[in-house]
Formats: sequence, structure tokens, C-alpha cells
Amino acid sequence: MAEGPIVSFRGVSKTYPNGTVALTDATFDIRRGSIHAICGENGAGKSTLMKILFGLESPSAGQVLIDGAAVDTATPDFAGKHGIGMVHQHFSLVPILTVTENIILGHEPRSSIFIDRHKARRQVVELTQRFDLAVDPDARTDTLSVAAQQKVEILKALSRDTRLLILDEPTAVLSPPEIEELFNRLRDLCAAGMTILFISHKLHEVRALAETVTVLRAGKVVGTTPLAEVDDTTITRMVMGRDVDVPRRQRQQTDAPVVLELDRVSTRSRDPADRIEDISLTIRADEIVGIAGVDGSGQRGLVGVLSGLMHPAIGSIRLAGADMSRASAPDWRRAGLAYLPADRYARGGTASLSLADNAIAGTDGDKALQWGPFLRRGAIRRRVQQMIADYAVRAGGTGERLDSLSGGNAQKLIAARELAGSPKLLIADQPTRGVDVAAAALLHGRIDLAARNGAAVLLITADLDELLRLADRVLVLFNGKVVADLENHAGLTPAALGPYMLGLETAA
Amino acid sequence: MIEFFSAIADPAVFATVLRVMTPLLLAALGVLISDRAGVLNIGMEGIMLSGALIGVLVSAATANPFLGLFAALIGGGLLGALMAFFINGLGTQFIITGIALNMAALAATTLGLFLATGDKGMSGALKSGVLPNIDIPLLGGVPILGPLLSGHHMLTYLAILAVPAVAIMLARTPFGLHIRAVGSDPKAAAAAGISRNRVQLYALALSGVLGGAAGAYLSMGYVSWFAQNMTAGRGFIALAAEVMGMGTAWGTFAAAAVLGIAETVAITMQTKGLPNELMQMIPYIVPAVMLTVYAARRQAKARKIS
Repeated sequence: MAEGPIVSFRGVSKTYPNGTVALTDATFDIRRGSIHAICGENGAGKSTLMKILFGLESPSAGQVLIDGAAVDTATPDFAGKHGIGMVHQHFSLVPILTVTENIILGHEPRSSIFIDRHKARRQVVELTQRFDLAVDPDARTDTLSVAAQQKVEILKALSRDTRLLILDEPTAVLSPPEIEELFNRLRDLCAAGMTILFISHKLHEVRALAETVTVLRAGKVVGTTPLAEVDDTTITRMVMGRDVDVPRRQRQQTDAPVVLELDRVSTRSRDPADRIEDISLTIRADEIVGIAGVDGSGQRGLVGVLSGLMHPAIGSIRLAGADMSRASAPDWRRAGLAYLPADRYARGGTASLSLADNAIAGTDGDKALQWGPFLRRGAIRRRVQQMIADYAVRAGGTGERLDSLSGGNAQKLIAARELAGSPKLLIADQPTRGVDVAAAALLHGRIDLAARNGAAVLLITADLDELLRLADRVLVLFNGKVVADLENHAGLTPAALGPYMLGLETAA
Repeated sequence: MIEFFSAIADPAVFATVLRVMTPLLLAALGVLISDRAGVLNIGMEGIMLSGALIGVLVSAATANPFLGLFAALIGGGLLGALMAFFINGLGTQFIITGIALNMAALAATTLGLFLATGDKGMSGALKSGVLPNIDIPLLGGVPILGPLLSGHHMLTYLAILAVPAVAIMLARTPFGLHIRAVGSDPKAAAAAGISRNRVQLYALALSGVLGGAAGAYLSMGYVSWFAQNMTAGRGFIALAAEVMGMGTAWGTFAAAAVLGIAETVAITMQTKGLPNELMQMIPYIVPAVMLTVYAARRQAKARKIS
């Protein structure tokens, strides 16, 4: 086997048919047997680069060298032939199939015309043992937790004599202990000779795991450097092209009136994500309450009862003094709820509609935008252009489809809509998941501003840095219960929240 | 109730149930395969109708009903493949494509019939053959079971054998796994290197072959002629049967049997002097009622959970 780099990019460029330049003249090497990180903002070209390496797209110019030899990436089964496996950011598992079926999908062991099910199961059990990734081979995939699904995804990527494993933002859906567990497995894999390509925009994770980092910005390689030789500030500057202003929240008034009041609220549901138990909680105006907790600990139930999508089985909810226990979603909206949903294309907006249509959704009855039964297109366009300017949304025009925007820009547009007017209650559910650093900073600033303008804010996030940066008070959910209610002071760290999130300690 | 069961156990009634169930079952299994692959074959009615005409024409031309059946299977398969070409090759929407095929098939079969016979109504002028019944040796002599199980149409046996065959194909073969993967999550399937276009092409072709068999049964099973629009909506009833079958081969079998019984009841009642038109509604009312009940139950269940 060759000794040189396992993969070399030589002047790789990609221009899409619609004219979007995703990648310009990318040149760097990936050393055999190393953990190599790719860092960059959303839209910097990370995903395009990975799609080219995985054979999903072909470069418009330049060459990809594997083991020193130029290869044509756009051939069928390119990845399988060269031993490249990929763990996608959005899992590529078929929900109705079993773990075994998902792992063997596309390269099933056969006996005559049938799938050799015993052999398939044996292969999967061997894989789980060899890589120390325990998961039930016979479970239906959609019954598994997110962390377990990711294990399946990794096993699937490893199932074909893989020598290069690509992971695209693998930690976005995991809790801190799960992330630690994942990193340990990846280090083991690397020790066993696997080359790992780790895509992330979380710097501390890159530093914890990788030896070398390649930074991309606006489709260009800014640099490739061993992590030991650079400090965080340098990398941040490479990623951003400028220093990021990190807003530290300073609460203005601590004795503002109570806006939201939950009194011993419980829901009944089979799904643990929808189940909350005996939650009492008050949020004042100009207060941000952060909810921490492993994914599926009742966050969805809490959002559900605070937006009219679910109703409490027991307990009462009051918003600005009015009883909202049985209120419908429109009632909540009328009462002054603003909501940034975690799934911005399913709940936040409509992917196939234009930016303008998305930005004015919910404003029906606004006389400035309507003339009788007709919409005033000009007025709408001007208002939406204002929103786009205010929130620095990178978009071509108001007529573009929402899904033509990157995740961060779509979220900024939705935030512009939700925060227009002055909401009494803002629910921000994973407001910056998958969003680049600059967009996240802008969104943090706007959430802070909404609070200062008198909103009570409920922030649900898996990003503990974000939580500690914004929240005045932190509540930890575990199994639908509040297990900790902590003032956010300087001494509170992600590590300190870990035991509560895992249900090891309570401090309610 | 007892009367009902003893009526079903009557070999003559039982044979009638099987007779009316056969085309529904063949077509519904075809719909099932297409549905699991994510391209519900709305064009089943048109494929059946085409298969029925092709069968008669080839059977008459060759004086061999088996060649007629073979041609109907090939023709149905090609029409299924044509749908796949339109849907995935040219990007048409699959429901519209199916509706278009149904309308085109009705017109084209009428035209074909006219060109071949000079008659737009029936193909009585053509000398087409009839596919045979099969007497199972030994079994035929057994009392009670013998008359119940032996002596049915060859396509009836084929349809019943197709139930486990389709079930095993979906559950145990790589092709079946690919069908389920593509139908459930085409993006995930693509990431595993499975081509949606190819899987849907084969699924629709296979669906068409079953539709061709169902059509051939109508025109060559017990009669030897083709009549304009002789499927009379059976392709749509097959769609309903597949939905009632909850996406499984055995469920589809059960649904087709229920619909077969309903139609048998309708046929029997007609001979007893009840209004003809009212009785003819039964096979259409049963799936409507059952689908409504299913939908209501599913909603009740969803309410319970939330």
C-alpha cells in the first residue's frame, strides 16, 4: 500500500448549473490514518467537498487523487470501490427497516435469489462487536434513539471494508456524554488504522478530536494546519475572516412582571419526548429561561403545551394573567407568542414557497399588506426586503424559494418574521442548530433584544455554550421532569450540567 | 351467520367467490408492489383493460389461449414500464400518469377492437380461446375438500400462489428490500447506492404483468370475448383492496376475499328478485364503508395518543 496521503484534492472547483460557485481551487491532502477536521461556516463549501469525495457529485475542474492516483469520482459505486463511508448529517436510514436491513441495504449477502438473513445478522453482530458499537440488530430503526441511530449510521458506513470514514456534523444531535462516547469510538477506529474526516463548526470539538484542520471560507481553502500549532483565536479568524463579537447577555431588570406561569403541568403521551411531569415555571419579562436536557426528555411536550399543539392533562398555564390551559394554537398566537421551531422547513416555513410568502405568513388581516381580498405585492416586497436587510439574510430576491437558502439564512428570515412586532413570549427551539457562527451571533443578539423589549423567552437548546451565553436561568429536563433549576452565574459550566442531564443528580 | 358460513362452504358459492376474487387479487397484488415502491399504480384499470384485449387478439390470431395469456402479461409489463418511463424519465406526476393511462387505454382498446372486428362493442366475431380450469389429481376425489379446492381456474390458483410469492419477495429478497427502502425513503435508499428509477421501473413492470394477468382472466377466463370497458372499475376496486390490505400481501388477500364475497352476495341477490341496480352497488359500497371505518379508527387512535 502506498505511503503518501490517502486523499489529495488538486485544484478542485465546483460550479453548479444555476451559476452558484460552491468550491474554488481547493487543494489539500488528508494523511493516512489521521483524524482530519474540515471547518467552516455554512455555505463555505464543506458539504460540496464531501459530496465530491463520496462520489455524489463530480468536480467542474481539478482532480481528486486517491492513494496518489487520479480517480473519476462520478462513477457508480465510487465510494464502495475505494472504501469510503459517510455518516450523513441527516441520517440516511430507512425508518421502517430493521437495523440489519439498513446496514446490508445495497450489498445484501445472498443465497440463491434470497437474502441470506443468518449471514446478514452475523455480519452485523460482528460489526457491532468489532467496533464496540452496541445496538440491537433486529430493532426497527425508527424505534431507536437518535444516538443509537447514529451508531447504525456509522456501522453502515463501516460495513464495506471502509478505510476512510466521513462524518458530517455528527455531534449536532448528541448530548455531551454521547459526544464523548462517540469521540472515544472514533479514536479507537483511528488507532485501528482508519482515516477519519470530521466536519464540524464547533471548534472545541475539532480541537478535542482532530490532529489537523482544513479551514474553508466562501468555497476556498484558507489553510490546512496541525491543530497543535494554532490557537483558537487564529482558527476563528481563519473561519470568519474577522473576529466574532460574542454577545454576553446582561439582564436589565430583575423585578419585571411575570409573563408566563406554569403551575404543576403534566401531559400524557406514549412518546417520552411529549411527556412532561409536574412542571412549575415562571418567566418574567426580560428573562431568558434556558432548557437543557438530552434530546427527547420532554422538550417537545413543553413546547407543545406552550404553543397550543398539545394540552396539559393536569395543571394550569397563564400568559400575562390569562388562562391558556386549553388555548389553541391561534389563541397563543393572538396572545403574543413568537416561535422559532427546531425544524425550520417543516414548522418554521414552507420550503417550496417564496421568501416573501414565508415572511408574511400569519399576517393576514394586516391592512398595510392587503387591499380587500387582494395582497399588495409592492408593499409586501418592500417589507420583506426590509426584513432581509435587517437580519442580513443572504438571498437573491424575495421571489426565491425558501429552500434555496442555507439553513442559517432561512432561520434568519423566520426570526425576522417571528420577532416583528413585540412578542410577549418567545419560544426559541434549537435556534442556531446547523447555523454558521456569524448567523448564530446575529440570532443571539436578536433573541437578547426581544427579551430586553419585554418578552419572556424560553430557550431550548442542545448547544450548551449557547445556553450559558443567553440564559438567565437554566432548567434541566430529565424524563419529563425538571431536575435542576439553576441561576446562570459565571461558575456554571457544561460539565456541571452533565450529571443533571443524565439524571444522576437533582437540584430542583 | 351460520347460514352465511354454510352458504360459503357450498362448493358452488365458494367457486363464485374465487371466480370474482381472482382478477381483484391479481390486480391488487400488482398495486401492492407498486405502492411499496412508492409509485402507486393508478393505471391498473387501463393495464387490465389492455391485457384483456391483447389476450383475445393474440389468442384469436394464434388459436392458442396460452400465447394470448403470455402476450397479455408482456403487454401489461410493457405498459407498467412505460408508466415508469413517463414518471421517472420525463418527470410526470404518478397519479396523473395513471389517470392518463386509464383514459388512453379505454380509447385505444375500443379503437383496437373496432380495427380488428369492425365492431365497437364486442369481439364476438373473433375466435378466441378460453384458458382452462385445473383439476388437482387425487385431491379432487376427497369428499367435501375435493369439490371446494379442486377444479378452479388456472389463474385462480396462480393468483393464490402469488400471495405468498409476493410476501416472500418483499420480505426476503434483495429486490423486495430495495422496493421497501425506495418506497419508504428514496433519499436514504439512494445513499445506500440503490437507484430509485430502476427499482420503480421493475416494480411497475411487475405490477403491469399482474395487471395483464388480471385482464386476461376477464376476457379469457370463462368467456372468449372482449367487450368495451369490460374491466368496469375493477382496477379501482383493486386499489381499494390494496389500501384495505394495509400494505401487506396477506392483508391484500383478505381484502380481495371480502370484496369477492361482497360481489358474490350481489350476484346471488340479483337472482332472488331484489332490485338489480341496488345489488350492483354492493361491491362498490363495501370498500367505501370499510375504508371509512379504517380512517375513523386511525383518527381515533391518533387522538388517543395525543
